[in-house]
Amino acid sequence: MRFTIYQESRIGKRRSNQDRIAHCYSRDALLMIVADGMGGHLHGEVAAQIAVQRMTEQFQREARPTLPDPPLFLSRALDSAHHAILDDALDRQFPEAPRTTLVACVVQRGAAFWAHAGDSRLYLLRRGHLVTRTRDHSRTQLMIDQGLLLPEDAHHHPGRNRIYSCLGGNYTPQVEYSPRTPLRDGDLLALCSDGVWGATDDDGLVANLSAGVLSQAVPRVMDLAERNAGQSADNLSMVAMCWHDENAVGAASAESISTRTMDLDGFESRLDLSGTGSGAGGDLDEDDIERAIREINAAINKFDTQR
Amino acid sequence: MPPQANCALPQGFQLDQYRIERQLSLGGFSIVYLANDAHGMPVAIKEYLPNSLALRKEGETEPQVTDEHRLAFRYGMKCFFEEGRALAKLMHPNVVRVLNFFRANGTVYMVMQFERGRTLHDYIRKHRGEVKEVLIRAVFARMLNGLREVHSHKLLHLDIKPANIYLRSDGTPVLLDFGAARQTLVSEQPVLKPMYTPGYAAPEQYERRDQLGPWTDIYSVGASLHACITGSPPPRADERLREDILQPLARTQAGRYSRQLLELTDWCLHLDPHQRPPSVYALQKALLQREHAAERPEHWFADLGTRLKSFIGRG
Repeated sequence: MRFTIYQESRIGKRRSNQDRIAHCYSRDALLMIVADGMGGHLHGEVAAQIAVQRMTEQFQREARPTLPDPPLFLSRALDSAHHAILDDALDRQFPEAPRTTLVACVVQRGAAFWAHAGDSRLYLLRRGHLVTRTRDHSRTQLMIDQGLLLPEDAHHHPGRNRIYSCLGGNYTPQVEYSPRTPLRDGDLLALCSDGVWGATDDDGLVANLSAGVLSQAVPRVMDLAERNAGQSADNLSMVAMCWHDENAVGAASAESISTRTMDLDGFESRLDLSGTGSGAGGDLDEDDIERAIREINAAINKFDTQR
Repeated sequence: MPPQANCALPQGFQLDQYRIERQLSLGGFSIVYLANDAHGMPVAIKEYLPNSLALRKEGETEPQVTDEHRLAFRYGMKCFFEEGRALAKLMHPNVVRVLNFFRANGTVYMVMQFERGRTLHDYIRKHRGEVKEVLIRAVFARMLNGLREVHSHKLLHLDIKPANIYLRSDGTPVLLDFGAARQTLVSEQPVLKPMYTPGYAAPEQYERRDQLGPWTDIYSVGASLHACITGSPPPRADERLREDILQPLARTQAGRYSRQLLELTDWCLHLDPHQRPPSVYALQKALLQREHAAERPEHWFADLGTRLKSFIGRG
C-alpha cells in the first residue's frame, strides 16, 4: 500500500478536547478513526477514548497483515467498543454510560469500507469533487430526508446536535455500513468531527482539502472552520488520507508512506488520545485530571497500608 | 497592573471532608489552609490557585479562569499534580507527608500532615545571631536526610529556605513546600513565573534554568546555613554574579562558629556549581563529623589540641 496520511485534533474554544482520533496500519490494511465524545453527557471523552483504543487493539489483533473480512471487522469492533464503554461505566459506577460518535474506515486491497454512528463524517473526494459522504444520524438529517428542512438551513437548525445513534449510552447503536468502495489513485478520504464540518460547508471543505499536500490542506480546513466558528468553536478533529496507486508513476508525493517493506506482523499507529490540541502544550482534560488524582491517592494509600 | 490577590476560603468552610480553620500562607501559586478533618485532626491543605491565571473574588467559591488562561491554568494544574505525585512517593520523617488529594471548586487540593512547631525562619528571627552550632548541625544533618530522599526520587526541591524548614516541637526538622514541580512550570509557560526566594536561590535559578540539579538545592542549604549564622541570607545570587560582595564566612564570622562549619557554608555558596559539595551526602557527612561538632571555637587551644592529637595519633 502507498498513501499519504495526516491527522490533527484541536480543542477549539472548549474547556477540554473530547475528540479522539487515530490511524493504524499493517503492511496490507489501514484503519482510521474519529470519535467525538458527547459533551452534553458525562465523560464523553472517556467514551471516545475507550472506543478508539478498543478498535485499534482489535485491528492489531486481526490485521495480520490482512483483515479476513473488513465489514465484519468493523461490525465486531464497533460492537466491542460499545460494550467496553458500558463495562467501564459500570466499573466506575457512572450513573449513566458516556457516549461518543464514531466514524471508522478500513482500507485494504485498494478498497475502502467505513462505518459510522452519529454525526462524525467521512468524505470521499476524487479529483477535487465530492464523491460521497456519510449521512448524519441526526434529527436535522432526518428532517432533510423527510423534506421538512432544506440542507442549507440545517447548519443553523437548533436540533443539529441532536443525534439518535452513538456508542455508549442507553441504546444499542444504529451503525451504518458503506459498501465496498474501490479507491483510485489520488482519492482522498477525510474523517472529521462536527467541529470541522459544522463550521464549513461541503464546498469549502472539498475545495480546501483538495488543494496541495495534506499536511497543509488539513490545517487549512481547520483554520477555516475555527475562524468561522469564532468564540463558539467546538473541538475540531480530522484524519485524512490520500490514496496512491503503487504502480502509478510519480503519483506519490514525498510525504507518502509505503507499507511494502513492513514486517508481516508489524504495525504503525498514531493515536491522539491525550486530548491535546495543536499548540496546547500538554493540556489536561477531565479524564487526565481524574487519573492523576487516582494515581496520587493510590501512591498515598500504598504507604498507609504498609503502616 | 499587578494581578488582584485571590480571596481565601472563609473560616468554617466545609471543603470536602475538611473544615477550614484559617489561612496559613498565601503564595503566588497556592493558598495553604489549616483545617480539621472529619475526626477533628488538624491538616494543612494546599489549594492550587495561581494568582496570575485564576481569580477568586470576595464571597465566591469557584475561581474564575478566563478562556485565554484556561490552557495555562490546566498546565499549572499538571505541575501541581507533579508535586503531589512527588510527595506521595516520599515517606520520610523529614519530609512533609501528603494525606489526600482531591478536586473541588474547579481546582485541586493537596492535604498534608499538619505539624506543630515553628519554622526555622521564626526560630532564627527570635534568636538572631545566637543560633547554637549544635542545633544548626543537628537540624541540617536531619533535614539533609529528607533532601537525600527527595533527590533519590529524581526530584529537586528548589525552594529550600528557613521558612520551608519546619521544626517540630521535639526539634526534628520537616521539609515543606515542594517547588520541584515549579521547575517544569518555568520552561514552557511564560505565564507562570518561576518561583524562588531571592537570597536563597542559586545563580542558575535566575538564568540558566536548564542547569538545575542537586547542586542547586545545595546552594540553598548553604544560604540557609548563612541565615542561621548571620541572621540573614547572603546577597542575591544574580547580584553576586554581577559583583560578588559576599565575604567568606570563614573570615567574617571566625571565632563565633567552628571554622569547619563556616568553611562548609562558604563551600555551598560557590557561584560555580562545580565548586560546591559534590552531593548532599558529602555535605551531610561534613556536618556530622563528630570532632568538629564538639569543637568549641572559644577553646582555640583545645581545638589545637585535638589537631595535635590526631597528628600524633597518626604518627
